[in-house]
Amino acid sequence: MNDFLKAVSISKTYLNENKKLKVLEDISFSIGKGEILCILGASGCGKSTLLRVIGGFERIDKGEILICGNKVLKPSADMVMIFQDYNQLFPWMTVLENVLFPLKVNKIGASAMQRIEISIEYLKLVGLEDFKNYYPHQLSGGMKQRAAIARGLALKPSVLLMDEPFGSLDAITRSNLQNELLDIWRKTEVTIVFVTHDINEALALGDNIIVMDKTPGRIKERIKNFQERPRNRRSDEFLDLYEKIYSMLDVQI
Amino acid sequence: MMKNKKLFWSFLIILFWQVISMSGTFSSLILPSPYMVIKAFLESIMRGELLNETMYSLIIILEGLFIGTFFAFLLALASIRYKIMEDFVETLIAIAHPLPGIALLPLIILWFGTGRTSVVFVIIHSALWPILLNTTTGFRTIPRIFTDVGHNLGVRGIHLISTIYIPASMPFIISGLRIGWARAWRALISAEMIFGAVGGKGGLGWYIFKQRVFMDTAGMFAALIIIVIIGMLVEDLLFERLEANTIEKWGMTVK
Ligand SMILES: Nc1ncnc2c1ncn2[C@@H]1O[C@H](COP(=O)(O)OP(=O)(O)OP(=O)(O)O)[C@@H](O)[C@H]1O
Ligand SMILES: [Mg+2]
Repeated sequence: MNDFLKAVSISKTYLNENKKLKVLEDISFSIGKGEILCILGASGCGKSTLLRVIGGFERIDKGEILICGNKVLKPSADMVMIFQDYNQLFPWMTVLENVLFPLKVNKIGASAMQRIEISIEYLKLVGLEDFKNYYPHQLSGGMKQRAAIARGLALKPSVLLMDEPFGSLDAITRSNLQNELLDIWRKTEVTIVFVTHDINEALALGDNIIVMDKTPGRIKERIKNFQERPRNRRSDEFLDLYEKIYSMLDVQI
Repeated sequence: MMKNKKLFWSFLIILFWQVISMSGTFSSLILPSPYMVIKAFLESIMRGELLNETMYSLIIILEGLFIGTFFAFLLALASIRYKIMEDFVETLIAIAHPLPGIALLPLIILWFGTGRTSVVFVIIHSALWPILLNTTTGFRTIPRIFTDVGHNLGVRGIHLISTIYIPASMPFIISGLRIGWARAWRALISAEMIFGAVGGKGGLGWYIFKQRVFMDTAGMFAALIIIVIIGMLVEDLLFERLEANTIEKWGMTVK
């Protein structure tokens, strides 16, 4: 089943004060269940927009998003977005309450006790169980993103949409979180669409990599990444792919 | 820290006042000494009269605030739910918000007489608009991400309001309540006093007015003290606690 999640010639135009801005043009791809797709491109090329479209947050001019053959029309808890913005946790809820809340809303778990158990299980998964009673403003940027990931995963979505979730973190925290994410992915078998502008990140995570062109955002190249996991970031294969993608981006910038 | 400084300065002011009145520059009918005021204060509390009037004022303001807040929320909800209501509410605020409650008094007396209803009406008017204005501003300026996340996690309809819109607008809602209370409290005292002049009965404002008729200057000051104390209790204690337990705890203060 290679078309679990499918985009069919997506086009999207933003209207800014009567000026039309074509952000996405004729984007198509499809990925299998449990795969990781990385979308790579320069700042402003429409990566966030594409992810919002996939998640059902935006209207589109043309095309459709299909998940298991069903059209995506609005956001749903089956496809959880981890936003680029670190302030996506609800500041009025503790970390635990943030994870608990969507479980309550979606009536997951038989009892309040069970919901708390589920929440703590996912907080453990992202290494935040000791911080469950903290409020989001008391966490670091990386911890906030991990909590948001726990909140999303606890719903057992079939797709996780991630918009540069580790964007402005230091290199070390970043690769730690990437490895953590791979761990989680292995355990949960969730399908991931991961947006980034970091070639290393795309190479470390993706089974498939889409390189995007700018204004309007188009698919410039699709790259299959067959490297075995865990990936060695110093291997020849890794570095060759890096060079290939780098030259691709370099030409256009 | 803050409290101690206020206590310190209050003490100095009272001391200064005592010195002035002891110097005999003013007759005690014009400026009674702090000692006389405190005596009058204790006496009228003993008589129960001052406390009764205070209770009267407090109950009436709670009633007015309750109704005002209720309608403010109703209108705010309607205005985020329906575009047409948003325009209507905006217009309503533009018209009514700048109108001081006291300016409406003659009209209100004409409509409702000088009874309790009129006072409640003035309080509702004073509190409703600032609360409504702040609440709608809060609702309108919610960071997009919170509603996006809400939709994504499956929160819908009235749930979205109670679990996301309201807490996310808490800084605005609290400042609306603060302003609403302050305006209502001032309007209440003024209304009672003016009604006192035209034969109304009850409340702290009325008490002050009545003591003037009796030439009980110390009694007037005693009522003023109560007004100050209640104002401080509500503004410094109640609202500060409310903020400490919500927006400060959540790291949502703009400071
Ligand atoms: N809500 C919006 N309304 C109008 N224009 C928008 C909107 N969101 C994004 N755009 C425009 O669409 C283009 C693509 O933006 P987008 O956020 O998708 O880029 P991006 O690839 O995610 O960039 P970055 O890597 O910096 O996050 C930009 O030119 C931006 O100005
Ligand atoms: Mg982006």
